[in-house]
Amino acid sequence: MQCAECREMLDMLVDDELMPDEARTVRDHIASCSECSREHESLVTTSNQLTNNLMRYTAPDVLKARIHNGLTQSLSSEPIVETKPKQSRWAWVVAAGALIALASSVVTYSTVTREIATRSAGDEVLASHVRSLMPGHLTDVASTNQHNVKPWFNGRVNLSPVVPALDSSGFTLVGGRLDYLSGHPVAAVVYGIRQHLINVYSWPSTGSDSSPSSETKQGYHLVHWMKGGVEYWVISDLNTVELSKFVGLLRAG
Amino acid sequence: MAASDTDRFEALIVPHLDSAYTLARYILRDEHDAQDAVQDAALRAFRYFASYRDGDPRAWFLAIVRNCCHTWRQRNPSVPLNESLVEEMSQALYDSTETDTSAIESSQQAAITRAVQNLPIEFREVIVLREIQELSYSEISEVTGVPIGTVMSRLSRARKRLASMLGNEIKEAS
Repeated sequence: MQCAECREMLDMLVDDELMPDEARTVRDHIASCSECSREHESLVTTSNQLTNNLMRYTAPDVLKARIHNGLTQSLSSEPIVETKPKQSRWAWVVAAGALIALASSVVTYSTVTREIATRSAGDEVLASHVRSLMPGHLTDVASTNQHNVKPWFNGRVNLSPVVPALDSSGFTLVGGRLDYLSGHPVAAVVYGIRQHLINVYSWPSTGSDSSPSSETKQGYHLVHWMKGGVEYWVISDLNTVELSKFVGLLRAG
Repeated sequence: MAASDTDRFEALIVPHLDSAYTLARYILRDEHDAQDAVQDAALRAFRYFASYRDGDPRAWFLAIVRNCCHTWRQRNPSVPLNESLVEEMSQALYDSTETDTSAIESSQQAAITRAVQNLPIEFREVIVLREIQELSYSEISEVTGVPIGTVMSRLSRARKRLASMLGNEIKEAS
């Protein structure tokens, strides 16, 4: 075998694409030719470095949620898709990533549930947020369209929650959910940005208007305010700067 | 779409979303574009799933992802990465001999990833499909839609460039 011929087959040898007898011929040549041997060694080193070091990326939760929504919608001719557990073949797709995020929160959640007697509304919001990240709990209505999500709440809760379209600011609508907090049913609207999920809770309240106040519980940021007889809670693991921006957009919408 | 098809799609395609997203990240070099392209690809794959017969489901799906990425690129031409970054990164690799092992490892990971991201698109896609996804030449040919001979020559040229960027062509006597 000539060196030139050997060089042309080195990649195939490394990639295991040669027939056994071809591979044997190339190996025999390498064993007897120091230049081809060095060339082969360089190729093996490079290929191993690439395989061992190249960054692998994980599809973010928000992407999985968006795909889940798109698939459930294309399965049905109805504009509104109810993701009941039985029909929700795709719920686990959303949940898979969320579970990872959840792993560190499980301790938090059980701590919160143990302290049920002394729970504040903020604690309940936190517990609900963590629960919503569990498989199949994120949305009852999965849609990126505000005109599907908003009317879904009609007759389910006694207020119509704000559901502005904020895509242009990077906040994608994921869907809506009915939840139960502080002894009454509440509307939960879910937004996503990158791998972060944001829950927006609202329910009627007799309190007077107040401007947003923030607190941090177990690594989650909560923002709370009252406006026009409605109590609002926003919670996410998103950074406080972007979460404040989100609250501003929500209040303007 | 029949329920059995939905189950098959769930079992065969959904497990490859990370592979799909990785390919898209290398082709588009932008996380938001990559997310949009993979979403588009997944919905498209779902819609045309009836046309999937047999063979490697990952290769079938990655071919759709790759097409969506290329369509996306044509619609949103990206600014090419600065070539000098590659030199900086490979220089950093040479300079890193005095730092601790983990710093070398992470700087090596960054340097190698960056080096691949700086390759022309036809090179970086074959590198990702071979070195990360470990597809065979015929599967890479299926995904990229180019003949096996072209796959082989692109892969070989891409590796030679990377060997030179990463300093592997310089051999010391041992």
